[in-house]
This record gives sequence, C-alpha cells and structure tokens, in this order.
Amino acid sequence: MNEITLTEEQRDCLQELINVAMGQASDKLARYLQTFVHLQVPYIELIDSEVLPERFAETYAQEGVSLVSQGFYGEKGILGESLLIYKSHDAHGIAEILGYEPDDVSEVEQLTDISSILTTTFLNGLAEQIDNQLAYSAPRVVSSMETPLEHHLQQLSFNWDLALKVDISYQVVDFSFNCDMVLLIPGEAIKNIQKVLDQILDEF
Amino acid sequence: MNIPVLICDDSTLARKQVKKSLPSNWDVEVQFASNGREALNIMREQQIGVLFLDLTMPEIDGIGVLEANHAEKLVDFTIVVSADIQPEMQNRVAELGALAFIQKPVNTTKLTEILQQYGLL
Repeated sequence: MNEITLTEEQRDCLQELINVAMGQASDKLARYLQTFVHLQVPYIELIDSEVLPERFAETYAQEGVSLVSQGFYGEKGILGESLLIYKSHDAHGIAEILGYEPDDVSEVEQLTDISSILTTTFLNGLAEQIDNQLAYSAPRVVSSMETPLEHHLQQLSFNWDLALKVDISYQVVDFSFNCDMVLLIPGEAIKNIQKVLDQILDEF
Repeated sequence: MNIPVLICDDSTLARKQVKKSLPSNWDVEVQFASNGREALNIMREQQIGVLFLDLTMPEIDGIGVLEANHAEKLVDFTIVVSADIQPEMQNRVAELGALAFIQKPVNTTKLTEILQQYGLL
C-alpha cells in the first residue's frame, strides 16, 4: 500500500477550496428551498480503501441508507466518484422538502433531484477554483436494503486506493435534514490534486 | 500613516488570499488572527482600522465577533469575506454592522471596488 499523505499546507488549502464549494452548494439549496442551511467547518480525512467499508458499516449499520453515486472526470487527471449518503429517515422526508405530493415521483427521482443540486454545485465550485472543468456520469441510486454498500464500492470503474472523505452535514433548519458527502478519488488523481494544491500554494 | 488592518480567518490560505488581494497602493500594516477569539483580543488591545472577517470558524465565529464588536464598538470598518453567502446570512451580517460582504474567493478587483466605494482607498 503506497502511502499518500497531505502536508499541513495542502490540507489547509484543500479545506478552504471545499469550504467555498460547500458555501455555494448550501446557498443554492437555501435559495431553492427558501430556507437557511446551517454550515459547519467541513471535516476532511484521507481513508484507506480497506477501511472505508468498515467505517460505512459502523456509521450506518443501525439504519438503512440510500446513496447517490456519481462519477466526475476533469482535465489534468482529476477524477473520482461523489457519494451523497442519506439515512433512510431523511430520504423519506425529501418529498416534503422539495414540495412534492406523496407518490408524485418515486423516491429515486427525489434523491436524484436533491443530489444534483448539491453534487454538481459543489463539484463545479471546486472545479472553478482549480481552473478545471468536470464532466459527470449519470447518477445511480443505491439502497443499502438492496445492495450492500461494499458491493457498490467494489463495482466502481476505477480501483481507488484512498478516499478523500469530506464530512459535510447540510442541516436544513426548517426540515431537520442531513446528508453526508464522500468523495472517492483513486491514487493517481490524489497526486494530481496535490500538484494543483501546490500550484495554488506557490502563488501565495 | 499606515492603517492597521486585521485579517481573521481559520484558513492560512484564506488569510494569504486576503493579504495578497489588498491593493498595492494602500498603505496598511497587516496583522492576522486565526479565529474569532484571537481577533477580539487584538481588537480590544489595539486600534484596528479595518477588519476582514471570515464567518465559519472554530472558537468564536464571525457572527460572534460581529456581535461583540457591535456591543463594544471596537472597529468601525468590518468587511466580511465568506463562503457562506446565503441571503439570510448576508442580512444578518449587515444588521450587525458589517460594511460589506465579499464572496470567497476574494480577489484584488472585488476588494478594491469595495474599498473605493466606502472611501477607504
């Protein structure tokens, strides 16, 4: 297992880029829902591929989760998979948040709608800051009731060594709604991100 | 005379971005604080002319600093530099007496415009 670590400067830089992207995503969500989204300092960690399934199991074992998984591909070898994870309890409330009538649209569609606001705004915000452009694959909705999350992680199109885990909790005040975002990034792409971070750091 | 400027942000990069975005012809002396508590300590001990303030921070956040500043009248000119740009947050910040709100990432053009608008430059 090759060791990839972020220097303190790289972590600080990445955290600030994520902060800005997260601010844009929350703003979009807040305007869309006409409510206020409470923001916290995002928590970033690098997690070994062997550890993440366990970590998922620990965090989400008690309740079912649904996740929306979407690949992204950019220039300069930046690529990865974004996972938005909803506890089933929160997933059921999304229809109300979006103002849909019950049975109006399927839960899969609801999850895809809210995820596209968060994921694409977040990733476009991140890409813009690093002077990159991203393309996206179609989102897939996976329910832990049907497919164990580990299986989904194993089925991704790349072998990722390390996950850049970004815990973003979007707390929508009026609806008590939370979701977690995790970015999975393969080893080569992490090195490419590090190069980009170093370039930004060199400017200052 | 130099204007004493305080830049408060928990991110090293963000502090450097603000410093680098200050117009080169602006005669200032820059100090840094990495959270709201540090900023308030400096503001209570020294006369600060202009405060550049982040919102989402550990310890005391930007709103906490604005509240204290509002009550104690420490700094006249506060410019919020934030990633949290929700309309409700912008209103709150204005109510607490912040002069202007700059969306991150900051750059020289945005900053110069604000400084000129308020006659600080």
